[in-house]
Amino acid sequence: MNHYSRREFLKFGAALPLALQSLDLRAATDPATKVPPKRIIFICNSLGFYKPSFFPTKRGDLSTSPYLKGMATREKMTVFQNLFHPGMETSNHDSEKSFLTGASSPEATNFVNTISLDQILAREMGGDTRFPFLSFSIYDRGWGCSWNNRGVAIPPIYDERQIFDRLFGEEDLTAKRRQIENDQHVVQCLYRDMAQLKQQGGDAAKIDSYRTVIAELEEQLKHEEFWLKTKKPEVPNTLNTDQEFAFSTKIGNLFKLSKLAFQTDSTRVITLSLDWIYGAIKVPGATGGWHTLSHHGGKADTLAKLSRIEVDIVKHLDQFLSELDEIEEGDGTLLDHTTVVIGSNFGDSSNHTCNNLPTIVAGGGYRHQAHEVLEKPTPLCNLYLELLHRHDIDAVKFGSGEKDLGLLKG
Amino acid sequence: MGEFLDRKCYRVDSLWAECWVEGLDLEFRKAPRVMSVCLKTLAFALGFSLLGSPALAEDEIPELVAHYCFDCHDDATKKGGFNLEKLLEKGEFDGSLMFENLLTGKMPPAKKDQPDTKEKRAILDWLAKRKADNAPKSFRRISRHEFVHSVNDLLGTNLDLAARIPEDRGTNDFDSNRKIQLSREMLGSYFSVADEILDHAFPSKGFAAEKTWVTNKIKDSHHSYNIYHHPHEEGSLFSWTRANNGNSYSFFYDNFDPPVAGWYELTFDAMKVAEFEEDVSLQVYAGKYYYADDRPQPQHLIGVISLGNKELKSHPIRAFLKPGENVSVHCYSRHTFRKKAPKEGAYIKQLTARGPVVEQWPPASYKMVFGDLLVEAAPRESLEAQGFQTNLQKIGGTVTVSSFQMGMEKENMQDGSNRTFWHTRFQPTVAKPPHYVILENPQGAEIEGLSYATWSGGNGNGQVKGFAIHLSEDGKSWGDPIMKDGLEVRLANEQPILFPKKTTSRFIKFLVTDAVSLDGKSLASIGKLDVLTPLSDQLQTSTITVASPSPEDLRRVIRRFVERAFSSELSEDELAPYFRVGLRQLEEDGDFVEAAKIGLKAILCSPRFLMAPGEHANPSYAKAGDLARILWLSVPDDELLDLAAADNLTGDALRAQIHRMLGDERSHRMVRSFSDQWLNLRSLNKVTPSLKLYPEYDDLLNHYLPIETRTYLHHLIQENLPAGNLIDSDFSFLNQRLARHYGIEGVIGQEMRKVSFPPEVPRGGLLTMASVLKVTTDGFDTSPILRGAWISKNIVGTPLSPPPESVKAIEPDHGEATTLKEQIDQHKNNKTCYACHKSIDPYGFALESFDATGQWRGKYKVKQAHGGTFIYRQKGYYKWGGPVDASGEMGEDKFENIFGLKKLLLAGEHKVAYNFAKKYFEYAKGYKPNLEQRLHLWDFIARSPGNTQMKDLVTETIAYSLTTDEE
Repeated sequence: MNHYSRREFLKFGAALPLALQSLDLRAATDPATKVPPKRIIFICNSLGFYKPSFFPTKRGDLSTSPYLKGMATREKMTVFQNLFHPGMETSNHDSEKSFLTGASSPEATNFVNTISLDQILAREMGGDTRFPFLSFSIYDRGWGCSWNNRGVAIPPIYDERQIFDRLFGEEDLTAKRRQIENDQHVVQCLYRDMAQLKQQGGDAAKIDSYRTVIAELEEQLKHEEFWLKTKKPEVPNTLNTDQEFAFSTKIGNLFKLSKLAFQTDSTRVITLSLDWIYGAIKVPGATGGWHTLSHHGGKADTLAKLSRIEVDIVKHLDQFLSELDEIEEGDGTLLDHTTVVIGSNFGDSSNHTCNNLPTIVAGGGYRHQAHEVLEKPTPLCNLYLELLHRHDIDAVKFGSGEKDLGLLKG
Repeated sequence: MGEFLDRKCYRVDSLWAECWVEGLDLEFRKAPRVMSVCLKTLAFALGFSLLGSPALAEDEIPELVAHYCFDCHDDATKKGGFNLEKLLEKGEFDGSLMFENLLTGKMPPAKKDQPDTKEKRAILDWLAKRKADNAPKSFRRISRHEFVHSVNDLLGTNLDLAARIPEDRGTNDFDSNRKIQLSREMLGSYFSVADEILDHAFPSKGFAAEKTWVTNKIKDSHHSYNIYHHPHEEGSLFSWTRANNGNSYSFFYDNFDPPVAGWYELTFDAMKVAEFEEDVSLQVYAGKYYYADDRPQPQHLIGVISLGNKELKSHPIRAFLKPGENVSVHCYSRHTFRKKAPKEGAYIKQLTARGPVVEQWPPASYKMVFGDLLVEAAPRESLEAQGFQTNLQKIGGTVTVSSFQMGMEKENMQDGSNRTFWHTRFQPTVAKPPHYVILENPQGAEIEGLSYATWSGGNGNGQVKGFAIHLSEDGKSWGDPIMKDGLEVRLANEQPILFPKKTTSRFIKFLVTDAVSLDGKSLASIGKLDVLTPLSDQLQTSTITVASPSPEDLRRVIRRFVERAFSSELSEDELAPYFRVGLRQLEEDGDFVEAAKIGLKAILCSPRFLMAPGEHANPSYAKAGDLARILWLSVPDDELLDLAAADNLTGDALRAQIHRMLGDERSHRMVRSFSDQWLNLRSLNKVTPSLKLYPEYDDLLNHYLPIETRTYLHHLIQENLPAGNLIDSDFSFLNQRLARHYGIEGVIGQEMRKVSFPPEVPRGGLLTMASVLKVTTDGFDTSPILRGAWISKNIVGTPLSPPPESVKAIEPDHGEATTLKEQIDQHKNNKTCYACHKSIDPYGFALESFDATGQWRGKYKVKQAHGGTFIYRQKGYYKWGGPVDASGEMGEDKFENIFGLKKLLLAGEHKVAYNFAKKYFEYAKGYKPNLEQRLHLWDFIARSPGNTQMKDLVTETIAYSLTTDEE
């Protein structure tokens, strides 16, 4: 069911959080081998970026991208141009469901999603941390970037305080242990119940589907039980509470929590879904409906407002990358050991088209090439396949990707 | 995404159908079977006479279809890209578009030859029998709301914990949707919510004593807040607390902290102090004290109190509060906005909080679960917490000071107000420094820091700018300071001073190192000074035990519960797993209640409870389960179970039960759930209207918008009123706030009541409710396209579907167009757009008379810039722009405004009723009705053409949904 290498953890992991409590610009390193763990984060900006402001006008030169030219970590970034998800030619906002899965025709009535990239990575990289993965979004809607191996949405967490508490909040360990034991007894009871239901000729498909979920829960309980032995890292709560720019605050906080989660080695896989299709949002310099504005139709005043929102997101991204890069770890920085993928399901949300998806890979210790323009439209999943390979996962195929993109050097 | 009405990515599936009408000459290839004397009327009549016709032979159908459809949809013409001839040859096609258009009389177009009743029915039956590919077998799961209501009803609790379970709707409209599958995260949250409710019903640590707090202290009692509240008689007078950035500030009551999670009764002794006629509203919020933008911030609204006379009265409200949450009030009246020393507003003498409230002792949950077992309940404690106490006083601490001025004694720092203060002596002689305050902590409580507040109302002389903290065990030897820091003299709120680490020292000295000095003298003064300490309230509790060590009793308890939860009888074998998990616990620690709790938890998290609503060996129990879930979002009551046991849930008995259940309080859950989903009202709060354009919009109005819709829908169903009321009526349910929003005079007080409208009022019906008008906008502008699509989809039921693959999305070039109408008229210039948008946009045109908050407008507002930082003002920041043109046309029918559109829609009342039935069916079943099921629903509506009544419609839809189970 899972292949978490607890053995390895015991070797060095248990001592790890203690070493980290001071949070002094130093992140996790395996004291035995001095090799910091690899991390990865996927950020889906669901309404994309306005292309002329995003892509460099001069090939290979990030200083010719209005959005990216000011970014502090330009040297550690590659912008990919001409990636797409096949099978989304007529897609609408449903395309977001396929951002990390590459499953085609997400708008179809009988669409069933497939496993998302982060979940495959979490299976391999998640066993050694308190949270095998974390999935964030900016509001409660039940789904984000992460989909399990049955194509079922994994509900993201959206409440910063709740995220902070889960990561760093104090726990009553005795109560928690009792709780886990209690849950484990209930799980065993339900297994017996299911066996009986099946024997009596109950709906096998239904029982099996429940059994799968309960087995996953059982696994999670074991994982949590194991981690009871380790104290959570002590981290002061410095979340922003500004309500004037609530949207901006939210995004900033989610980035901050991602950074802290990586820095304390609480998880190694994160997804972050930036989606807001409802009413107006307020960012410095503009107030407006993000979605409404994204259908700019080329109008200058609409674009001006839209760009304020996009600039605000880029600003937070820039800060996130810079902060990762300021944290020393092993022979480099936390950013060098964290692959940051920023992308979108929309190439052009004004027209709802899903070609030429804006995609950045930052950090991860690659020798970055600033700007890669692919000669012909290439499946984004080829990049995903390459990321799997770069994280030691021996996959032949992922989604529509059948060929390793082969562009991440170093 | 599915629930999202997009600007241009939907197509009306009648694309081909619409094109059929366009530019077609009236050449009849074949002899018409019906002469077109008055085709329109005829088509309408035909639509309703589908019942009881003898079927035609199956092999006659293709010929019929060819006759009526191939004029335009043969291989040669394939009007609108719809080549029916080809599709029929191939044999496989989705007939639902054709079905809907034929059923609702849209096709064949009025100008064309029409099938007669028998023929039409035959074609429809034939289409309905064509089954789409078998979808994978799916099953119903209960939604998070159904889970929480069911558990509450089973345990006699009342906890709203649905938000703790992830939104399970996915991208689909209805929670019941069978495509939504259980995930580990969802199951995990069911486990923890079950725990929480069970522990609330049977708390392991006993029931906290009921305590009563009486307070009139406001946490932020600063002079600069005079425009919001100030001392008045024995309490405070509140005026409109809406501040510079437009937020509705809310002032917190001090001296009441709920010790445990539970229900509390909050009684405000209050009255209106004003000469104007309207009521003054008191909005009561609960939440963690949170201070930003220089003011305390409101949290979640727990109730509204309407103050209508000048007589002091007690106004109780109930709220569920958790430790750490406090209560705050916001007073609303448009007459008292921003006056320096307002004389009008709401006077609150005091707040009396009592709780946690337990209705009966021992609580109902024990009776429900343990039945007649001997329950031993210690008497419930009741305590009074009268008078104000600081934290220091709570830990038995005292204050000493270096010196004081007469009338400005140290006690003033401890009285809960920063309008009174301690001051070092300045007369007759000025006290010499050092100035300090020593706080004694006699019991060695754990102190995290101090809380300091400046005093207000004077010149500020002596306010502390810098301080140092010293600790001592004996009050004599102090050692080096543990911290030194500065304080902000201008801040009105309490400033926390956090020590580098917690201390249990007996003496804490606050040494003033720097202070405001207006006259060069060394002085110090402080409004409030208190300790920050986690108060480990020695919680007094009363325990209840069930005096039974008997496994047999446990078996009975678990059996009773599981049979109620599953609404079915269980064999010993089936019971065994739940019993055993409890028995294990009983044998381990002998606690009967804890043993029962774990058994109950297993039941609540079991596949049968979570995933098998309605699946039972006995179909009568299945019906009882379904009825309870659909109408109450819960489990059946005894009456339903008795009828199920007697196998008596059919025909009139079934209908009588549905009526009984609709009359029960719990049916409000259904109306809320259904309207939240059908009309997407649960997204109402995702949009905050612009305060520049809509300065009058506030929390109070926002609170009442969905209540109007729910009350109205509940009334339509309860009173069995005609379905046409969904479109138009001469009444709605309003209160003072909603009536003002709608410009209706004479509605005083915030309680909801039925209000009749004169004919010139455009309200009545769902379309013109502010809730619906708001949820279809982004809070700034209105979009006829969004609103039009919303009406098409949710009210009229014109099926929308994404464009076929061959159509490329086209963004109209808005660059040249000037007005909104002109922009949208560009749809006309593009055939691909127009085919769909001609039946979407016009609905939206008529609603242009309503702004993004649902208020009537004759002209558009044009937003204007404000210089510098936005400062809220009542007149907003806009000027009036061009007039609204609310006219449009649907096919050949023109309308001038919303009144005209409503008339047009009312002429198609049967379609609206049919759409409602389809939506209700989907709500009940978790999938859209298939064509055969749609035919059944249509047949019911056809029994009384144009006069379908709502209760009947709901009843018949439910009754039918119980008999059919094919997706």
